[in-house]
Amino acid sequence: MSVTTFVTDKAGLQKFYEAIISSNETYAPVEKSGKFEFKRVMNLSECDPESAIDKTMSIKPLFFPRSAKIMKTITTSAGTDVKETVEDPLAGKRIILGVKHCDARSLQVLDKVYLWDYHDTDYQNRRKNTVIISARCDKAGQHCFCTSLDYDVENMDAMDLLIVNGQDGKVYIKARTEKGEAFLKELTSLQLAVGSQQSAEEEIKKQYDAFAASFRLKMNYKEVNEKLGKLFDSPEFENVSANCISCNTCAFICPTCHCFKISDEKIKDSGVRYKSYDSCNNGYFTLMAGGHNPRPVKYRRWRQRAMHKFVYYKERFGVNLCVGCGKCTISCPVNISIFEVVNQVANA
Amino acid sequence: MEQLLVPTLCKIDQIIQETPDIRTYRLKFKDDSLMEKYTWLPGQFVEFSLIGHGECTFCISSSSTRKGYFDCSVKKAGTVTSDIHNNLDEGDEIGIRGPYGNWFPLEDIKGKNLLFVGGGIGLAPLRSLIQYCVDNRNDYKNFTILYGARTSSDLCYKEEIKEWQENKSLKVILTIDKSEETWKDNVGVVPKILEEVVKPTVENTKVITCGPPIMIKYTLLSLDKLGFAPKDVITTLEMKMQCGLGKCGRCNIGSTYVCKDGPVFTYEQLKALPDEF
Repeated sequence: MSVTTFVTDKAGLQKFYEAIISSNETYAPVEKSGKFEFKRVMNLSECDPESAIDKTMSIKPLFFPRSAKIMKTITTSAGTDVKETVEDPLAGKRIILGVKHCDARSLQVLDKVYLWDYHDTDYQNRRKNTVIISARCDKAGQHCFCTSLDYDVENMDAMDLLIVNGQDGKVYIKARTEKGEAFLKELTSLQLAVGSQQSAEEEIKKQYDAFAASFRLKMNYKEVNEKLGKLFDSPEFENVSANCISCNTCAFICPTCHCFKISDEKIKDSGVRYKSYDSCNNGYFTLMAGGHNPRPVKYRRWRQRAMHKFVYYKERFGVNLCVGCGKCTISCPVNISIFEVVNQVANA
Repeated sequence: MEQLLVPTLCKIDQIIQETPDIRTYRLKFKDDSLMEKYTWLPGQFVEFSLIGHGECTFCISSSSTRKGYFDCSVKKAGTVTSDIHNNLDEGDEIGIRGPYGNWFPLEDIKGKNLLFVGGGIGLAPLRSLIQYCVDNRNDYKNFTILYGARTSSDLCYKEEIKEWQENKSLKVILTIDKSEETWKDNVGVVPKILEEVVKPTVENTKVITCGPPIMIKYTLLSLDKLGFAPKDVITTLEMKMQCGLGKCGRCNIGSTYVCKDGPVFTYEQLKALPDEF
């Protein structure tokens, strides 16, 4: 893979985005009531690829929809007819602009569970047909801690293209994967300038250093991971979860939470099966027929949440089930922060 | 994935009322050619769809050595299982996904004495293995089945138990919790009968057990007392499951997926898991 970095300016970047939107199925952060959600866009004016991290929802719904019809059935006197549903609206070739680093990373994390053993082929297709274009944050959000976790935020290849606003006022566009490289080649009409590679690398590094220095939250991930692994019986889980109202917002908004439920509905003779988001914070999540529930109380469910994210997933798949985006903390109605939860339990 | 969550249609060939609240549904694929090709190993489970109502996880309670059908034994316990009992008749159609999960360690138990310890509906997963082993009887040495239930009417598979009792190569010990007028067999809970009546040989024996959590708990203690090594005690876990594919996140105990790494575990493996269940 070549490592060409293109150099342009703010106006050039706008042109770059416009060229992408005009010739591709493009998704980008679109503002609604102060929050940005990734939506299909037709014009650059509709969206803001540099939306603030604190206000931007994750791209998860573009790969794992909130609720999807997966089957329809018709029952007649002749028997039951099962129809697998409709074409996948998310399967086409598409570009996503303005993906934050944490969000891009979340896909690599989800790959592990969705693509082991049985493959989630719909997810796989959506993933294969998508080019991820990432604009690096200039500044960390209030609840961000991506740089404290087990991945290399600076050099990650989770995005196909990386866009960096240099402190010299220039904009650097760099391919991080072969898919990104190929995509850049297709955009020949833009005639992007190739600058001095060395100074480009220096500017990108400078921007990263300033970004990394802006974090309020820092943790020693390895230490927390090791300690938590031995704290299954910690009474601290009761304290950290005491305020939780089990609304599940954290799980629905989390870019790496991937648990789902399968539910069937029936109206007269036609039935529908849905696959929708679910959360381990739900009291009924592990409730079995007959009433037995291994996690009947809140602290056990919170223990599962914290341990799954910081211990179990790592044990099983080698990566952390948290990308440090802080979305759960921002959205929590009672201000529970996963960062504080794991630190408090680990250091109690 | 979406396609993996769509079941294949089966017809209910026969419904057997086992106990007041347990019925066995004998199933055949609507498409005969699928039935011929369908195969599973003892201990595996399926997702059973009552179309339009929902899915349930059941072990297959028969062995693939008996061709042309498979059984699911359903205890009326929750919403969908009640709907199954209340709505389904012979000839009706249901959906099946699977078989999923692992199976009993068939290679490890070859050439060994087998001791089955079952309680209530817990005999269902054991029955699949019992049938398999009865059909390959020469591969095993002594063959003992200890089975208990609360009352005599709660004993599952009564007809089949008679066949087992008539089979001279099997030793069958039945027990119920409290004495009943016409009951001539043992009275007492399973762990007690295990220690006092069965008194199993430990050497070269594999124990396969399944039953309600309280029975399992005390049976494991008894087996420990009798001197069985945890690696020689095999059980199968009941856990809330939905996808059966290692994706939906429901059945995890620590980093273990019960639906993929289980449901069959040795006691040794269970001991290494977080004490969540």
